[in-house]
Amino acid sequence: MTKADYYCSVKLSRCRCCQSKFFNESIRMLRQPLTRALALKSPTRAAPLAARCQATQIQPQPDKVEVFIDDKPVYVLPGTTILQATAQAGVEIPRFCYHERLAVAGNCRMCLVEVEKSPKPAAACAMPVMKGMRVKTNSDLTRKAREGVMEFLLVNHPLDCPICDQGGECDLQDQSMAFGSDKSRFTDIHFSGKRAVEDKDVGPLIKTIMTRCIHCTRCIRFASEVAGVDDFGTTGRGTDMQVGTYVEKMFLSELSGNIIDLCPVGALTSKPYSFAARPWETRRIDSVDVLDPLGSNIVVTTRTNEVLRILPRTNEEINEEWLSDKSRFACDGLKRQRLVTPMLTDSRGNLTPVEWEDAIVAAARALRDCPPEKLLVVAGDMADAESLMALKDLANKLGSENVCTEQYFPLEGAGIDLRSSYLLNTKIANVEDADFVLLIGTNVRFEAPLLNARIRKAYVHKETDIALIGPQVDLTYDYLHVGESASIVKDLATGTSSHEVMKRLQQAKRPIVILGADQLKTPEGSALLAYTQELALKVQEKLADKEWKVLNVLQRTASQVAALDIGYKPGVGKLLQSGPKVVYLLGADNGVVSRDQLPKDAVVIYQGHHGDNGAAIADIVLPGAAYTEKRATYVNAEGRAQQTLVAVTPPGKAREDWKIIRALSEVVGERLPYDNLDEIRDRLSQVSPALVNYGNVQDNNYFAQARALAQSLQKPISGKMDVQLKQLEDYFMTDSISRASPTMAKCVQAVLKQKQSSY
Amino acid sequence: MSARQAIQVGTKTVKPVLSTTPGEAKRRVLNLYKAWYRQVPYLVKDFDIPKSEEQCRAKIKELFLKNKDVTDIRVIDLLVIKGQIELKESVNMWKQKGHIMSYFKPTEEPKPKDFLSKFFSSNE
Amino acid sequence: MSVGKILGLDKVVTLFNIIRQNGGIRASLYKLYRQDELKDGVLVGEDKFGNKYYENPRYFYSRNRWVEYSDKFNMDYDGSQIPAEWFGWMHYKTDLPPHQDPSRPRYKWMTNYNENLTGTTAQYVPYSTTRPKVEAWLPPRKSSV
Repeated sequence: MTKADYYCSVKLSRCRCCQSKFFNESIRMLRQPLTRALALKSPTRAAPLAARCQATQIQPQPDKVEVFIDDKPVYVLPGTTILQATAQAGVEIPRFCYHERLAVAGNCRMCLVEVEKSPKPAAACAMPVMKGMRVKTNSDLTRKAREGVMEFLLVNHPLDCPICDQGGECDLQDQSMAFGSDKSRFTDIHFSGKRAVEDKDVGPLIKTIMTRCIHCTRCIRFASEVAGVDDFGTTGRGTDMQVGTYVEKMFLSELSGNIIDLCPVGALTSKPYSFAARPWETRRIDSVDVLDPLGSNIVVTTRTNEVLRILPRTNEEINEEWLSDKSRFACDGLKRQRLVTPMLTDSRGNLTPVEWEDAIVAAARALRDCPPEKLLVVAGDMADAESLMALKDLANKLGSENVCTEQYFPLEGAGIDLRSSYLLNTKIANVEDADFVLLIGTNVRFEAPLLNARIRKAYVHKETDIALIGPQVDLTYDYLHVGESASIVKDLATGTSSHEVMKRLQQAKRPIVILGADQLKTPEGSALLAYTQELALKVQEKLADKEWKVLNVLQRTASQVAALDIGYKPGVGKLLQSGPKVVYLLGADNGVVSRDQLPKDAVVIYQGHHGDNGAAIADIVLPGAAYTEKRATYVNAEGRAQQTLVAVTPPGKAREDWKIIRALSEVVGERLPYDNLDEIRDRLSQVSPALVNYGNVQDNNYFAQARALAQSLQKPISGKMDVQLKQLEDYFMTDSISRASPTMAKCVQAVLKQKQSSY
Repeated sequence: MSARQAIQVGTKTVKPVLSTTPGEAKRRVLNLYKAWYRQVPYLVKDFDIPKSEEQCRAKIKELFLKNKDVTDIRVIDLLVIKGQIELKESVNMWKQKGHIMSYFKPTEEPKPKDFLSKFFSSNE
Repeated sequence: MSVGKILGLDKVVTLFNIIRQNGGIRASLYKLYRQDELKDGVLVGEDKFGNKYYENPRYFYSRNRWVEYSDKFNMDYDGSQIPAEWFGWMHYKTDLPPHQDPSRPRYKWMTNYNENLTGTTAQYVPYSTTRPKVEAWLPPRKSSV
């Protein structure tokens, strides 16, 4: 192999890159499945789906072909790439541009391997296997090829690892140690110098140091395939090639943070985390996100009792390996506006810090003096199952049944008795198997960004069609807008409408209907739910696949499902009008309860972690722990129980939430019978075993019963549907943590500024 | 040489620390106890501790009885050696008043046991 | 040597002189109470705080220059209340008091002299410049009082 050959391969790579860009463009325009466009029926991408397959979906397996990886025979499906075949053989091939969840670009050339009887080394990520192919992953030629590619990459890469935020978790660093040359031959520094590229400004979340870019185009592919925002691209070619946004603009996506993880070098790094820590200084604690209803799996990175950043943790069932921006970047809100000490109102009406004893005694006195029917408990959107359970037990022991959540859900008909009526029954992962999606009154993109990413995945790769009833919003993919009126759902359900959507629903083999829980707040909510159930069940009955669930209700908050499972009443409406004497807010910050709705002498006890709407109206403040500070159970929109782990200790005098309630119960004189986490989880399992069945989700049934119960509620509806989060700027600050986060505030500002720009 | 090793492996006897029989170990314990007992008046006087001789003797008895269930001769021997070290440090005034008083644990507060006092006292 | 000197009568004369110079018996007793000594001497000058500087070469070196602190300090006087310009004279670095010394520097940027405030409420207290890891929520004030 001569140097000329290397040049050749590098040039080739650049050309390929342009090609792939062109491909992406064409794909978007033609709206063809990417896999097909790139002749890529990758089995790894199909595998997780196949694993989830329902019984009917088993297709005849094509014959496997035999290939030899380092003389070891491996049997793989035809069309598999060499890289995937070697992965099956347990050999890992270095790569920069290849990523399992993105289209193949084949432009970094790092995965070059020697293939016998081939004149040149082949790029393993893009080369499909052929029968009897002999691949050598550790031959002299392969190693030389890798070393050469690495050398070319390093020629155009700055040696600023000591000040680079990617240092320690950099693919280029690692691979140059493993596969690179032992010394540099780069001597051109005085003649033409190192290549340097101007940094781009893509918003307050992502810091770009474009000189470090090795043109793997992962960010470009992510933006156009997964995020659906085709802002990134390349300009120029050869040494002049640059990755950027053509004109300077913000990367307007709710999934933008993922390109930081995708970037194999330090070209795209996290702006809030810049120069904060090195990966080897930090502790990583597995946890669960609570800022949206999906319960994405996260890793909380901490150092010296401080949350530094949040990264996604791979969970194929929920978030794959992505994470939405709010979940990722709102963690600096955990350090601001915190309640660190119990507080009581003094004689002048100002909240003043007190000791725990005083606060608990004051709260207990208020609870004891309150007649049971005048006690109101309101749970907020980030309450964990343990504290919900403890608080409900306490209220019940005091003789009160007025425990409710902020978010409303109709109680008529089956109400919350049947789990199927308030869950995402299809399950998040199965959404990508759907061939028709009907969204009713929800902006999935901002209410559950990763669910939207799944729908988009189905849209891009499987030709799934989407229809939306509700306000017209940008969902990052094309959809059929049926209308805004709720009566459309009624017409579809009763069969009076012959709209195209109905035909598509009936033709579809795996249709799903997703109803936004926000629509159920209105007086017509129960009817809307009834019609949606009717519609979904009518479609489901005719399906060949009996296991397939059509009906989905997308909750808005992380606590709602657990609260409903435990038996909280959704919505405060009526209970608030009865003039409660004592209102116990468990992290209820959405302003559902306000001072002017309460009698003058009402005592408001707020327990939570942030000073927000709830604490502002409180007379007694009990500081609780945020989700990174406690081991707690959360149930996501599918009904999957997951637990967070303690990453940092609660600040100041703050305590774990269920312990506060347990201590309070003892002072009130109604001691709750659990002293530790295991005991309260036993209590949870008594109420519902699903609450402690961590990581698993149970299939829901009783759709027919729910439908039967809802039959009487099918009243005429006429209202227009509206969603709360319409634009990207609405998305960032929706709860007490993200409202306290300076990064999120910057995002809102940046988006608004970008909206004014002509680009 | 090899024969000796073979015998050693065969018998599997452990090497004694000091005593070979339980009786001998017991004698060592009693000797140590008596030595401590005799030193009590001097310790009370020299260290000027706010304890009477009776209280000190009771404490010595208590500390000895804490290990009354130890039967392993080697462990007994080690405990005796440790006791001797303590005694030597006390008699030679290598210890200070606080060290002697720490046998009585005057500043140790009992840890809270029930949920509520744990909640109020610690950051738990 | 006169008879008076042998009998120590000159000391009595000196005592009466001192008392007279200090403004009578009452004023002398007050001064004695306030500064534990009573001396006679030439008033060399007065600084901007009202401290009066005296000199009497009859006393032994190092006791022959002294300050009578301004009345406004009352009993709370201490050495740091002597301003920098008088410090040199008090410590025999110079024999020229500030108002007679033409070579003293006078620049615009020279600030006023401050006494040492240690022990008072205005004293300097070191503070941490590291930001707290967690910013606490400050409840809004409902009443201004």
